[in-house]
Amino acid sequence: MKMYSNEGRQILVCCGTGCQANGSLQVFDAIQEQIQSLDDVEVKTFAKSTGCNGWCEQGPLVKILPDDITYCQVKVDDVPAIIDKTIKNNEVIERLLYRNPASKKRVKSPHLELDFYQKQKKIALRNIGEIDPASIEDYIDRDGYKALEKAFSMSAEQIITEVTKSGLRGRGGGGFPAGLKWQSCAKQSSTPHYIICNGDEGDPGAFMDRSIMEGDPHTVIEGMVICALATGASNGFIYVRDEYALALKNLNLALIDARKRSFLGENIMGQGFAFDIEVVRGGGAFVCGEETALIASIEGKIGEPRDKYVFPAEKGLWGQPTVINNVETWANIPVIINEGADKFASIGTENSKGTKVFSLVGKVVNTGLVEVPMGTTLREIIFAIGGGILKGRQFKAVQTGGPSGGCIPAELLDLPVDFDTLKEVGSMMGSGGLIVMDERTCMVEVARYYLNFLAGESCGKCVPCREGIRHMQEILTRICEGKGQISDLELLEEIAETVKIAALCGLGKTAANPVLSTLRYFRDEYLAHIEEHRCPAGVCRDLTEFYIDKEKCTGCGICIKNCPVDAIYGEKKEAHTINVEKCIACGSCIDTCRFDAVRIR
Amino acid sequence: MAEDVSNTEDMISPIVTAYPREKRYILAMMQDVQKKYNYLPKEALKMIAKHAEVPFSQTYSMATFYKAFSLIPKGRYNIRVCDGTACHIKGSAVLIDQIYNNLGIKPGETTEDKVFSLETVNCLGACAIAPVVMVNDTVHAKVTSSGILKIIEKYRGDAGDEDV
Amino acid sequence: MKIIIDGRDVDVEYGETLLTAAKRAGIKIPTLCHNEAFEGQGRCRLCMVEVERGSMKNTVASCTYPITGEIKVSTSTPLIEKMRKNIVMLLYKQAPGSQLIQDMYKEYGCVDNSLEENNADERCILCNLCVLACREMGSSAISLIMRGTDKQVATPYNEAAEVCLGCGACAEICPTNAIKVIEKDGQRIIWNKVFNLVNCQRCGKPFATREQLGYIAAPGKDISTQSLCESCRRKSAAEKIQGFM
Repeated sequence: MKMYSNEGRQILVCCGTGCQANGSLQVFDAIQEQIQSLDDVEVKTFAKSTGCNGWCEQGPLVKILPDDITYCQVKVDDVPAIIDKTIKNNEVIERLLYRNPASKKRVKSPHLELDFYQKQKKIALRNIGEIDPASIEDYIDRDGYKALEKAFSMSAEQIITEVTKSGLRGRGGGGFPAGLKWQSCAKQSSTPHYIICNGDEGDPGAFMDRSIMEGDPHTVIEGMVICALATGASNGFIYVRDEYALALKNLNLALIDARKRSFLGENIMGQGFAFDIEVVRGGGAFVCGEETALIASIEGKIGEPRDKYVFPAEKGLWGQPTVINNVETWANIPVIINEGADKFASIGTENSKGTKVFSLVGKVVNTGLVEVPMGTTLREIIFAIGGGILKGRQFKAVQTGGPSGGCIPAELLDLPVDFDTLKEVGSMMGSGGLIVMDERTCMVEVARYYLNFLAGESCGKCVPCREGIRHMQEILTRICEGKGQISDLELLEEIAETVKIAALCGLGKTAANPVLSTLRYFRDEYLAHIEEHRCPAGVCRDLTEFYIDKEKCTGCGICIKNCPVDAIYGEKKEAHTINVEKCIACGSCIDTCRFDAVRIR
Repeated sequence: MAEDVSNTEDMISPIVTAYPREKRYILAMMQDVQKKYNYLPKEALKMIAKHAEVPFSQTYSMATFYKAFSLIPKGRYNIRVCDGTACHIKGSAVLIDQIYNNLGIKPGETTEDKVFSLETVNCLGACAIAPVVMVNDTVHAKVTSSGILKIIEKYRGDAGDEDV
Repeated sequence: MKIIIDGRDVDVEYGETLLTAAKRAGIKIPTLCHNEAFEGQGRCRLCMVEVERGSMKNTVASCTYPITGEIKVSTSTPLIEKMRKNIVMLLYKQAPGSQLIQDMYKEYGCVDNSLEENNADERCILCNLCVLACREMGSSAISLIMRGTDKQVATPYNEAAEVCLGCGACAEICPTNAIKVIEKDGQRIIWNKVFNLVNCQRCGKPFATREQLGYIAAPGKDISTQSLCESCRRKSAAEKIQGFM
């Protein structure tokens, strides 16, 4: 028996990956168990596990409706109090509320009171955290499948025109206008046509697609069915990373429910239109995020991309016309159809419409998923929404666009973020990872990190990408080890430029971005490594030596406790010392010291 | 964890034949075998090739291309250190070193007693709780360089208990 | 239809690749991973050229670029030449043992630098032509394995492949002479597999593997009737024709 949301009190427990790792499933179970035995309250209470609320930093999050109370960092031990005080007696438990560090006040309804939520505008994430992803009724309650119903009253051209007019660009990286893809596929005479959802989210530091698939799988399905209707496609595929277990589970469940309710299948909504979707599990290859490689992978081949002089919209899966969009793009479609292209296009910048979901991670206070209108500045995202840098440290750079993106320095913090502005400064939108870096991040090491990543993830098909990456990695490694030479920088730039022009696919062409952008904005760090044999951030171990500032050290002993190799010694309340022989320069001490006493030599 | 491989063919056959004889199901067959055995035995690659009517060299090519697959058996506890960017800048490399210092294995290797395997994985999408380490299906959040040693000890203890 | 390549009008067919059109017109574009027997692969990227279509200017691989409209092509610009030089340098670091690559290294005026070189006897540039040739022969004994900087061509598990006929088509097509074929004492060793060679019935020279002849012969047909090496077979055919005249 389905319990509808407006009938009683709801306890929403965020069960996104972040909260789960902090024990939210146990919290959910405890709540479930304890509300079973509630008979003495007037209003019925239901508990729901929801997808990622976005504010992972404060998880597990428990939200109580209609009271609109959000409890943070809830533990199983807190559950009896929540039931006794809040559910039975309508009392707010102060200690479980978030404490705003600026005003020092407790916050009952963060989404009304905090910049973290107030500055956001949720379209793609509209349902996540609000619904039980395993319940199609929850989705329908929030206007789910209404857009599909509306689409049946429109002609194929009208649907495509609406999507084109909305200005929606692909959220997977390239930013290609979605309407153009659809139109190009629709006009191909060769049948069948296929629809693909690219859920092979591979950019390290990005998890918005995971969150959508886990938290609101029906929106993806609805978007795809609408596209099928517009382009005359018969079959759809959702390609998901196999590591995303919960996304796979929720998607499969959603497909079954959608079929039961005939939103999929032989006769969709009784309109005589047939379309079905199957889930394909990815094999673990970053390159399969590139659409031609993904297509090869669905076909049962290794994921090598091909030159895209003919687009998949003309010749895609098994040589047939194929529309391929990523998860977040699909999630926008129902809203565009429901509310109209004009409303969607009123949000954002001139050439980048709507919102973008970013995963705000790294050295920032409020890590999590945020959705903001295109054109929001980096400063607003990182400082207003993100709450600034951890431990009050200095912001150094923000990395956008995954391994193919670039590092953007402090002087560009007021850049309004959209597809084009990011490209102009040498980075890209990618799927929307925003990785905040502070003074303790070495930019040379970051570049090397990305090249290491790409060396393992390049498919190896074309020479510039495969061999270019190999040697850029080689040069960066020796710079990090203090063996670099000045002439290496020129060589690095030379190779990077060739990779950029000559590589076969989008991933290869952008593989040099981490190198080029760090060389452009952080050349002084490269020079410090090469000329002074010094890593200013204290990250490259061969070039780093830590010492304790005797003036500042209070002898609290926290570094001693955290040192994994017992390299720090000293009496309580007396200045400590680091044994350089033993020290592995892991940085535990500097990261845990509260008195800024650990220094880099 | 890893099952007895003596009767591999009989065991693998139902997994493979559950799929239609089409090339596009090769990945799915491999994933199912990998889940069951923690690696892809050579017999499995041959059987999948035969069932999907492709050359053996193609299934081998795919098995070595996709990172989800291993051609050698993994340990009972598969430690997966996330080396996504967020985890990286929060110190995942130190965790990998710590595991090496403690267990003597590098990414891709398994301890001699077959208790632990280590691999690095691309972003697990749990960046907000970086750095992340997964041991089999359990996610460990915000792991520190001393925390990883405790995690290893815990599993080593569990392994010992099961042996008794 | 007509396109312009390096200032010349060239007649082309709709949909054919730029490389095919250029070759027919006698315009030389360097390639390594291309062979007319197969579709363009776009692996080596040496054949990249600049294409102007309307106001759009792109760098494309001519072996995979299909001609679908009026374009102006430049096969050799400073940008292209610089890129080719860098690609050749990268290839030299990968396959310093190949004579062809060594020659190209000189031809493109590459300058020695500090980058690491592969083993001095390494010759493979991963052009994949051997894999295609093997597939064409119906064997598919070898394939591309691993990925990224670890990519190689190999048989499964680097073991002697059951399906390998020892025909040597892979070595034949290889542009850099990278596939090791050892022939001695009536045996051929290739891809870790040892084959017994069959002698030509006419000249007595060992010329093909038993597996290869068994494969070519129609079912039921005796291998021995085919046991002539290529030059003897040609001679024998010529004689037959003469006999008829």
